Amino acid sequence: MADTYANNPEWSDVTPIPLDDGSESGAMPLATIAYPDEYLDATSYLRAVMAANEMSERALKLTENVISMNPAHYTVWIYRARILFALDKDLLEELEWLNGISLKYLKNYQIWSHRQILMASETHFSTLPPKELDFLMEMFAQDSKNYHVWTYRHWLVRRFGLWDLPRELEDVDALLKADVRNNSAWNHRYMLRFGPRADKPDGGMVAAGTGKVPGVHDVVDEDVVDSELEVAKKAILKAPENRSPWWYARGVLRAASRELGEWEEFAGLFVKGEVKSTHAVEWLADVYAKERAEEAVGMLTMLKEKYDPVRKNYWDYRIKMLGQVA
Amino acid sequence: MPLTVAGKHRRVRFPSTNQPAQIPREQKRPRTRPASSHPAGKMTSQEAPRPGIPALFTQPPPIRDPLVTESVDLQDATIEKCLPFLKGLHSSQKGPFNVCGVPALQRDDHVGYLYDSLEDYPAGFVAMDASRPWMVYWALTGLSLLGEDVTSVRQRVIKTLQPMQNPAGGFGGGHGQTSHLAGSYAAVLSLAMVGGEEAYALVDRQSMWRWLGRLKQADGGFRVCEGGEEDVRGAYCAMTIISLLDLPLALPPDAVGRSTGMENFTDELPNYLARCQTFEGGISGSPGVEAHGAYAFCALACLSIIGPPEETIARCMDLPLLLSWLSARQNAPEGGFSGRTNKLVDGCYSHWVGGCWPLLQSAIDGKPQSAGPPPQAVGSLFSREGLDRYILGCCQSPHGGLRDKPGKSPDSYHTCYVLAGLSETQHHHYRTDISASSSEVFASAFSWKSSPIREDNVFEKNDRLTALHPLYVIPHQAAERMRLWYESEPF
Repeated sequence: MADTYANNPEWSDVTPIPLDDGSESGAMPLATIAYPDEYLDATSYLRAVMAANEMSERALKLTENVISMNPAHYTVWIYRARILFALDKDLLEELEWLNGISLKYLKNYQIWSHRQILMASETHFSTLPPKELDFLMEMFAQDSKNYHVWTYRHWLVRRFGLWDLPRELEDVDALLKADVRNNSAWNHRYMLRFGPRADKPDGGMVAAGTGKVPGVHDVVDEDVVDSELEVAKKAILKAPENRSPWWYARGVLRAASRELGEWEEFAGLFVKGEVKSTHAVEWLADVYAKERAEEAVGMLTMLKEKYDPVRKNYWDYRIKMLGQVA
Repeated sequence: MPLTVAGKHRRVRFPSTNQPAQIPREQKRPRTRPASSHPAGKMTSQEAPRPGIPALFTQPPPIRDPLVTESVDLQDATIEKCLPFLKGLHSSQKGPFNVCGVPALQRDDHVGYLYDSLEDYPAGFVAMDASRPWMVYWALTGLSLLGEDVTSVRQRVIKTLQPMQNPAGGFGGGHGQTSHLAGSYAAVLSLAMVGGEEAYALVDRQSMWRWLGRLKQADGGFRVCEGGEEDVRGAYCAMTIISLLDLPLALPPDAVGRSTGMENFTDELPNYLARCQTFEGGISGSPGVEAHGAYAFCALACLSIIGPPEETIARCMDLPLLLSWLSARQNAPEGGFSGRTNKLVDGCYSHWVGGCWPLLQSAIDGKPQSAGPPPQAVGSLFSREGLDRYILGCCQSPHGGLRDKPGKSPDSYHTCYVLAGLSETQHHHYRTDISASSSEVFASAFSWKSSPIREDNVFEKNDRLTALHPLYVIPHQAAERMRLWYESEPF
């Protein structure tokens, strides 16, 4: 126990607050942990400096030590962020350090909340740091659907207004080229193209929560709509039984207040003859629903009986609803 | 890797370290499936399943694209892993198997596993230091589902949670940790399950209320802790706590929200949740992110707490779009749910996705007209059979506990939520026109009842679990008693 805080002169002015996990109560607390000594030592000093709201270099080092033993300790991250700002530390250096930890603990989300807190500082980051997007791609190389990283990336787009930065769409394209079924990438694409921009509330579909139909734009650039529909078509031709581009296309048409009917012929390519896509069948069911209820029932029955029977109850419900409309 | 404590074999593991299945680098590039390749699998798909199992649950789906990408590799590997279990052929499966080819719920093993999960952990489990309230909640919920009387651990629960409560309000993940909505949610629900005055009285409602006021954001949502992130988990946990503890709906005088004109905790909250619905129809953790099953439950349960679902869900969500997305979470042959489009089945979504269904079904059924079940209920809109087959066939670990999928280790988190999903398939959940609470705002939240479903079951009588409250995810009585106790206590 040479390197404990307890026998370190630099810490002699601090009275540690020992852990109370309920063991002293005599009632045998639940889910207790036989903590390693160095963790007990470090966290008892952490409690003490936090209680005193100490903003110091030694406290900063202490947080690093606790994080190295338990990166899921959310409290220590929040404390660390406060110290970094209080001491006006070099946040680029902090990001470099974070990169290594992030690659080591892929599923940890405290790291991403921390990164967001740093990056939110307008004093430190008036523009996007140049290597930020490279690092995110490094993360996606490990797990291309990592929810925390995508959440952060979405926030980053809004933070720095990156909707039209070519790099954003290039990265999405690269990820979709590697795996056209990466639904996280499709979602990001939708947000770049059709998400609400800076002056609107914090994201989601446009007009959501306003009482108007969500996802429908007042004005759209029809060229963007057409080119995005082409992107979806190309993806579907590669792999027709991939839900992502079919639903992306629905979102695009919805944004432009255009009808699913304009894809009737295209969807038909995957239904007539050999059925190659359940999503095409569902598409046609929705196209037919308005005026050709019987044909719509035919499509839904195909899904229910042959191509997607695990969802039988849902398809039955859809058929029932058609009857009520007709 | 089995860990040993004082000579005892410990079977419990903590979930957050699960890594995705590793796909070798060279396989990450898209490629075309050879025309002759047999769909999903070499050996297992040839073997005949036990009698009583429909082909839907023993064969790969009828349509498969020739283009293979990483998503397909992972999906194929999952089907390959699940098929021997779905067919009832895997050597680790315990019986007996019923006429539907479904193995029995290994109650004793799971009860033993969960009691074990409440005891001491070796040093390697330091990563769960901030999750001890969850460990307690998952075990107590699982044990309650299995019919165990958890009041026997009342004192131990109280003494465990006591040091985690902070004088400035709320519970942290452990002693000296910042108060957090997730930890506070797990703590309050655990206290509700063990019940009794001493447990209820542990919570400092005044400071809890003021702390919640500091988490409410100008856009209507909640941060999970001071200095932490804002997401729909936060909103659901906050409204759970407010409604169970009968806290004033009005924001405390010093709440930040008051400076932007907000007066109540629910102000702007429905609009915030509405912004979380995505173009796919599902619901994301925060506005603009990908739709995700766990967040969908949090958002829908939150909406169902703050008002009747036929009003709140109908007003905030595009219901047909949501139904379509939710329905697409169920895959065959696995039968279980995935959390997102083109992601894998995972036992925990039996609750997160499965738990959305009663809320949506109730929204469709509309305003309750009687003290009994609605006469023309829409009924189950997913395959209860598929989910039950996945849970009982694929998720039971051979030494107790339940898991994400075959090949994964069990943990308390999965054990809790897989069992919650099983219970959900066994009951019809509906609202009545009678509320256990005298509150007008939360009348709907406390009007839920459950009755066992008797027809078309693939499980046996002995596999039956206790019903949970579909919003609070603890037994009905536990939620109602807690609410009533606080209603009678002056704030």
